[in-house]
Amino acid sequence: MRKKGLNSVVNVSICIMILTALLVVASCKQSEEEATTPTQPEKADTKPPVVSEEPVKETVKSVSDVPEEPVKETVKSVSEPPDVTKVTPPAPKDTEKVEEPVVGDAGTSKWVPIPIQLPKPMFVGTPQDTKVDNLEPPLGKPRPPFYAPPDIKNVAFEKPVSSTDEEPIIGEIEMITDGDKEAADGSYVELGPLKQSVTIDLEAEYEIYAIVCWHYHKQARVYFDVVVQVASDPDFISNVTTLFNNDIDNSIGLGVGKDKHYTETSEGRLIAGKGVRARYVRLFSQGNNSNDLNHYIEVEVYGKPAG
Amino acid sequence: MKWSIICVVLILVATIVGVALRLPQLKQRPMHGDEAVHAFKFGELLEDGFYDYDPYEYHGPTLNYLTLIPAWAARAQKYADLSESTLRIVPVFFGVLLILLLLPMVDGLGRAGSVFAAVLTAISPAMVYYSRYYIQEMLLVCFTFGVIASGYRYTRSKSIKWAILAGIFLGLMNATKETCIIAYGSILLALVLTLLMSGRQSGSVLNTLKAIKPCHLIAALVAAAVVSVLFFSSFLSNPTGILDSVRTYTTYFDRAGQNQLHNHPWYYYLKMLLYSKYGSGPIWSEALIVLLAVVGFIVAIRKRPMKGVNFHLLRVIAFYTLAMTVVYSVIPYKTPWCLLGFLHGMILLAGVGAVALINLTQNIRAKVFIGILLIAGGAHLTWQAYLGNYKYYADSRNPYVYAHPTTDVFTITERVEELAKVHPDGHAMPIQVICPGGDYWPLPWYFRRFEKVLWWSEIDTNVMPAPVILASASMEPKLMEYFFLPPPGQVNLYIPLFDTYLELRPQIELRGYVTKDLSDSYHQYQSDKESPQSKGEK
Repeated sequence: MRKKGLNSVVNVSICIMILTALLVVASCKQSEEEATTPTQPEKADTKPPVVSEEPVKETVKSVSDVPEEPVKETVKSVSEPPDVTKVTPPAPKDTEKVEEPVVGDAGTSKWVPIPIQLPKPMFVGTPQDTKVDNLEPPLGKPRPPFYAPPDIKNVAFEKPVSSTDEEPIIGEIEMITDGDKEAADGSYVELGPLKQSVTIDLEAEYEIYAIVCWHYHKQARVYFDVVVQVASDPDFISNVTTLFNNDIDNSIGLGVGKDKHYTETSEGRLIAGKGVRARYVRLFSQGNNSNDLNHYIEVEVYGKPAG
Repeated sequence: MKWSIICVVLILVATIVGVALRLPQLKQRPMHGDEAVHAFKFGELLEDGFYDYDPYEYHGPTLNYLTLIPAWAARAQKYADLSESTLRIVPVFFGVLLILLLLPMVDGLGRAGSVFAAVLTAISPAMVYYSRYYIQEMLLVCFTFGVIASGYRYTRSKSIKWAILAGIFLGLMNATKETCIIAYGSILLALVLTLLMSGRQSGSVLNTLKAIKPCHLIAALVAAAVVSVLFFSSFLSNPTGILDSVRTYTTYFDRAGQNQLHNHPWYYYLKMLLYSKYGSGPIWSEALIVLLAVVGFIVAIRKRPMKGVNFHLLRVIAFYTLAMTVVYSVIPYKTPWCLLGFLHGMILLAGVGAVALINLTQNIRAKVFIGILLIAGGAHLTWQAYLGNYKYYADSRNPYVYAHPTTDVFTITERVEELAKVHPDGHAMPIQVICPGGDYWPLPWYFRRFEKVLWWSEIDTNVMPAPVILASASMEPKLMEYFFLPPPGQVNLYIPLFDTYLELRPQIELRGYVTKDLSDSYHQYQSDKESPQSKGEK
């Protein structure tokens, strides 16, 4: 009796599945008809008013003559040549490539379509996700120059470095100040998981104007809880100054940081030193958005001997 | 009999809830880059009638071939005719089918357990979100469950039709995504572990396996092979696809170990399911499912059977889920949709776990209290499913939103469409899109109606600048030189196309440039269009 009941349940289930499949296909058909309807008139409307039928031949005014145009600074340079005229693309070298008939512009010149061999879009894999709290937006252009006294140099070059992880997983601690800033394997040191720090002994007091740090830039990573401190003693007891801190939950224990997370790039992160006097530089981090490990490619400290 | 009907009705109600959460506003969320790539590949199949399996990317062909059904239903003949709804209806269908597939499992998971599992499948935020995502994952999960369900039915009836159906689902899994081997391995491991636990007791897995007729097994394997071969060979028109379907595994093994772009810690998925909070966004959690699954797992491995539940089936599901969870957590390459496979296993266990929790006590008040907690938890999941799909659908504060384009793509598309209205060539207006590394997806989807789009990773100085250029912010210095490429007297003046900062994806800025005369034509067109209105207002 029970088996019969179950068999009927199974049979009913199969009927329901087939019915659902038919209903979903039917609903799809309906929704598509609804969805595609508005696009039809849009296609018809793509024919512009009279102005579009012939290319404008008149001299284009420079940007300065055009009020209320949202011209960005970077594009302003384009306006420098005076009396810029509309481009008439040159005749194609290979006439077989011309895909459209030549359209007259009611004048002497001919307006021809650009001889384009249309490249198909290049397929790419899933892009990287950058889901990180308190992340600063990208600069979108090269970092502007950082001004400092003329006699400063990288005073950390080949200076001794120590680390909380004395036996790195990859590389040697000394690589942090060896001058190699490449992203490739063999250029970075990989420290263990959780909270780690490296300390550079500059071997003398310096006025520090900038610290540039490269954690890892083979991919766009964000390192967590980055704290940069300088001090006059190796135990960081006297004359300690925190130059950067994005430890928003104070998990490093040096106070809540107000700086933002940032995405690693080949430019490295430039941290202003404001001329602070110190001999030791310490950098903390606590994993990154790809894994729990900590990496350093290079740390540069720009300064001059403390007068 | 009466309870069986109630159970079927409740599963159907859960299915309706599942449809209601999955079907509306399929166009609302911007197409993800992966969705757009699959859409483009499907466009080739639709227009050329041919599919060529690529062992390096894009996974198996089932998604493409199955999309032909809604495309034909929508009378789409070209790539440009497609809409988001036409594509996304496919995963929606399989997301709904996943709920209905619980019907043949009622006597295995128990009536109440099946109903709970159906409800949790219907309302799980991750299940709902990725049921509206034009990728292979939901199909793979559905086909995997199809293997389990038809395999289970075969053990009950010994009918060859279930064996063949299980074989078809096995073949469909293979033709869907290469990660099916993780599911194959997990099912096999689960069978072995269940076998070891059950020993030689009556009705054990060993006895069940012994009862399988060799000819039925052969029929199932033949069915799997036929389905797989048909799909990979593009229905016998591309025999190399069959070999490629094997060769592909070297690619995917390499990727799992080398591609660091999607490397995440081992706890990435579990953390995502248990607790996620980004910025000012809400707290996301499917902890109810995970906790109930743990209870279900305990029920599965303890010695005392539970009434109405097939313990061998439950153990297979428990070990399968555990194996899937461990393997996916251990593999460094992680994308959030990959969690669906073991999340579904967790949901099945959670269904049984919920019943076990209610049966934990004989006290009616305690039962009511547990029931209220479960209802509240279910309501919270439903609320999250709603938020995730209709409010935070493209917001990176939603944990399931991964490297997703921002809604700025709509602004970009709208602006370019407007320019096409005033350009003499309309949708044949030349456009150049220049983004290093081909990082311009999903724009190829949104520009599908444009006939002359040049997709570049670098500037090609052999081609004169087009009237509309879209480019990554990093390209701007090179573009400044490129604008002056035409000879003197023919250099055009470019101005920014967008008034505001626009992102293709979070942190990925896209800038636009338009020739000044085209921009002037557009503004003239706009003022002509608006002037009759303003006159009317006056």
